[in-house]
Amino acid sequence: MARIRLQSVSKAYGGGQAAVTDLTLDIADREFVVLLGPSGCGKSTTLNMVAGLEEITRGTLLFDDEVMNHTPAHKRDVAMVFQSYALYPHKSVFENIAFGLRMRRVPEAELTRRVHDAAERLEITHLLQRRPSQLSGGQRQRVALGRAMVRQPAVFLMDEPLSNLDASLRIAMRAQIRHLHAEMRTTFLYVTHDQAEALTLADRIVLMRDGVVQQLGTPHDIYERPRNMFVAAFLGSPAINFLDGQLSTESDAPCFRRGELSITLPPGIAATATRDIVLGLRAEDVGPVQDGFPVLRGMVDTAMPTGSDQFLGLKVGGNDVFVRVGKDSAVREGETISLGLNPARLHVFDKASGLSLLHGHS
Amino acid sequence: MTIVVNTPSRPLLPIVVRGCGLAVASLLLLFYLLAPVAWLASSSLQTGREIVSVPPHWIPDHPTLRNFKAIFSAIPGLGASEAPAPDGTNSGGFIPSTAGNLLPAMLNSLIVASIVVLLNLIVGVPAAYAIAKIRFRGRNLALYTVLATRVIPDIALVVPFFLVVRKLGLLDSLTSLIVTYLAITVPFSVFVLASTFEQLPDDLDRAARVDGCSRSQVLLRIFLPLARPALVAVGLFAFLASWNEFLLALMFTQTAASQTLPIIVAAFTSDFTVSFSFLNAAGVLAVLPPAILAVVFERYIVSGLTAGAVKG
Amino acid sequence: MAAAVSGRYRLPHEERAALGLLAPLALVLMAVTLFPILYSLWISFYGLNLRRPNRMPFVGFDNYLSVLTNPQFLESVGRTAIFSVISVIAVSILALLAALLLNQEFPGRRILSACLLIPWAIPSVVNGLMWKWIYDANYGALNGALLQLGFIDAAMVWLGDANKTLGLIANAFVWKEVPLASVLLLVNLKAIPADLYAAARVDGAPAWRRFLHVTLPALRPGFMLVAVYEAMMAVRHFDLFFLLTEGGPGGASDVVAWRIYVETFRNLSFGTGAAMSYILAVATLLMSYGLIRALAQRV
Repeated sequence: MARIRLQSVSKAYGGGQAAVTDLTLDIADREFVVLLGPSGCGKSTTLNMVAGLEEITRGTLLFDDEVMNHTPAHKRDVAMVFQSYALYPHKSVFENIAFGLRMRRVPEAELTRRVHDAAERLEITHLLQRRPSQLSGGQRQRVALGRAMVRQPAVFLMDEPLSNLDASLRIAMRAQIRHLHAEMRTTFLYVTHDQAEALTLADRIVLMRDGVVQQLGTPHDIYERPRNMFVAAFLGSPAINFLDGQLSTESDAPCFRRGELSITLPPGIAATATRDIVLGLRAEDVGPVQDGFPVLRGMVDTAMPTGSDQFLGLKVGGNDVFVRVGKDSAVREGETISLGLNPARLHVFDKASGLSLLHGHS
Repeated sequence: MTIVVNTPSRPLLPIVVRGCGLAVASLLLLFYLLAPVAWLASSSLQTGREIVSVPPHWIPDHPTLRNFKAIFSAIPGLGASEAPAPDGTNSGGFIPSTAGNLLPAMLNSLIVASIVVLLNLIVGVPAAYAIAKIRFRGRNLALYTVLATRVIPDIALVVPFFLVVRKLGLLDSLTSLIVTYLAITVPFSVFVLASTFEQLPDDLDRAARVDGCSRSQVLLRIFLPLARPALVAVGLFAFLASWNEFLLALMFTQTAASQTLPIIVAAFTSDFTVSFSFLNAAGVLAVLPPAILAVVFERYIVSGLTAGAVKG
Repeated sequence: MAAAVSGRYRLPHEERAALGLLAPLALVLMAVTLFPILYSLWISFYGLNLRRPNRMPFVGFDNYLSVLTNPQFLESVGRTAIFSVISVIAVSILALLAALLLNQEFPGRRILSACLLIPWAIPSVVNGLMWKWIYDANYGALNGALLQLGFIDAAMVWLGDANKTLGLIANAFVWKEVPLASVLLLVNLKAIPADLYAAARVDGAPAWRRFLHVTLPALRPGFMLVAVYEAMMAVRHFDLFFLLTEGGPGGASDVVAWRIYVETFRNLSFGTGAAMSYILAVATLLMSYGLIRALAQRV
């Protein structure tokens, strides 16, 4: 139940290293925003600043219309789930969940009711009298969730809560978290380095690198229209293929040239674009050769069937290109194949700056 | 090369040899540690006559508690209660008139040590928490400075202490002892507590703050309960250091009003007219509280030292 | 690039909180320790003698010079060095043996552990009294035991024998220091991963080689800590010298700590006493630093 606004927020430590630079973000009430990026990109620092656990060096943080820069953490209406769960070892599960309510002097009867409700919701009622050391990883994670849920906060913060779970549990928990968001009708701010997690959970994603926002948008937006090479490479599995080449004009159309390879590019590339460019091709964006479509020809270096799909490692003009074809494709290693490329699905970047030449800066 | 495999019935000899070796070593260590103290105790139970026998009686023939009785019931002013040894050796043999000072001195030591422990916790715990958990400029400098105060030998501090204390009119008062003991014990306390707090996960601190605790509440409700063993260790160290301290007490105290146990015992030691058995009895009384504390709380002491050693 | 706080400079919350929490500690230490250190330094530059309290001429470094050229002081430095070296070596060896023993698993080890700390816990005054009684020439336990065991024919003088004094005092000092040193080494011992020994055994190393190549190297940080700490303690030790021999006989146990005491509280020359203290303090610092460097470098 809060709109969070970060205005040109920066965080620098004493030694001068900037953890976050000039971050501006407007999170609507009840939105699920994911802060995504590699380690050290500043996503956890940003979360901590919203929580009040770190000082904001410069800029303004607002909850609704109230400036929160100088409000200490314990006075903000936020709840947080930590990667390590951070359960209090000397308290029972019940007390762990109840602690935040006790500190806010919620009356005992109400407190007990809320704790039991949360415990039921998370199916941990039978664990209420145990200590954290007696629980499994998954159980502890649910207690951590319960502790945050029970507070019914204005802002729900999560710092890589699923990272310590094994893969199958992680996928199940993602669904749980989406349900939680729908039920609680609260603003969620979620940090992860897992791009798949971000794509499935987020209403909007903030992709960060070295403290600077690379792109902000819906999952679809960021995936389909990456603003730079970093964004394009970070999202999507397997990673996008990059091919160096030259920009030239043929029959009034922009064209990607690389040795013998010539691919017509979609219109919209600025006329003043430089000549050295990088072509971005996602593995799934290839298909059978079709009329009017540019063709990619390469030699099959490795064929990797995965049961549901088949991945081919192609050698195209000396480069490795990874593509996905149907599982029934009967290609063999050593063969040369041709694939059709949909120009609308190609990405073009300026080699020097890494910026996209197609998708402008919103 | 033939490979020898242990037969199902495990060979007995190595086990027996190891067992014997350990037993012998243990006994030697035990003897080294306890024999002097045992002799102290034995001497304290001997009469003034028996104690000067040659060769010494390792176990008293006629154990007596009269030395201890003298301490407990001594009324200042009454003189000797033992005749000198018959062989004329000048071993004194008297129970000094100042025997009655021993128990009050013990009380002084107890008061000083207890207050020092309390103050150690009050001053040291917040400081340790700040050093361990708050990222502030000069944090490392603070810790090193605190530890550096202990590099200076106490002797070097005695003179200025003495002059200042005298100027403040605090000579011969327990206050001067309490304050100086606090200053010499608190660096180690801060060091051990900071190490302990540092080992507690940062996330716990963060979780508690998000849950609604101010910094001091985090300390009280989360960190202190989890640091109980370290707190016990720190308290013990401070208590023992205060109880045992000699040099500063020697300088600052002049009369029985403020003299602590080590001073009184030292006074007896340098008094040639005092009976040896009495001397040893005073020693036993001085040893009992710290020895009992050490034995009972051994585990905490070791873990406290461990925290210091690992960090150092 | 460091970013400054916008607007007027305010101490961030964190630092204010930290300052508040540290204030009592800082107050106590500054008043009780830092101030005397500085005051004492100041006194060392003056000729202050309590026998003539009204005269306090500024003498600059004269006190230091006279101390450093005083043969009695220099001799005491020599004795202090001998005492410290003997003590550190003895403590290290005994503590190692004790730690090795306590690292084993055997019934009754707990009792041994509990008893280990008793010498550490007893007051140094009682330690002095105890050993003085043991060393007593007429009725002491040392003479008694040696006589009974037939090692000597007649009672010997111990503390009164100038050749033996330092060694005897060192023995008393070492006895009280062994427990702490053992614990410090034991901590290191326990941290040695069992895998290292397993690997050595697989490599065919017999027990003594495993000790030499696995145990001892792993103990180096522990030894370093013990050596530095015990050296610091030995160099400044006062109590036993006061209780057992008062610097005698004939100056045989006149160490620096005793010199300082005599100069300050018997000769009442505070200026030179302070200068001696500072020389001792600086020497201690340099020695600790030097020891750490030396021991840490032996790769």
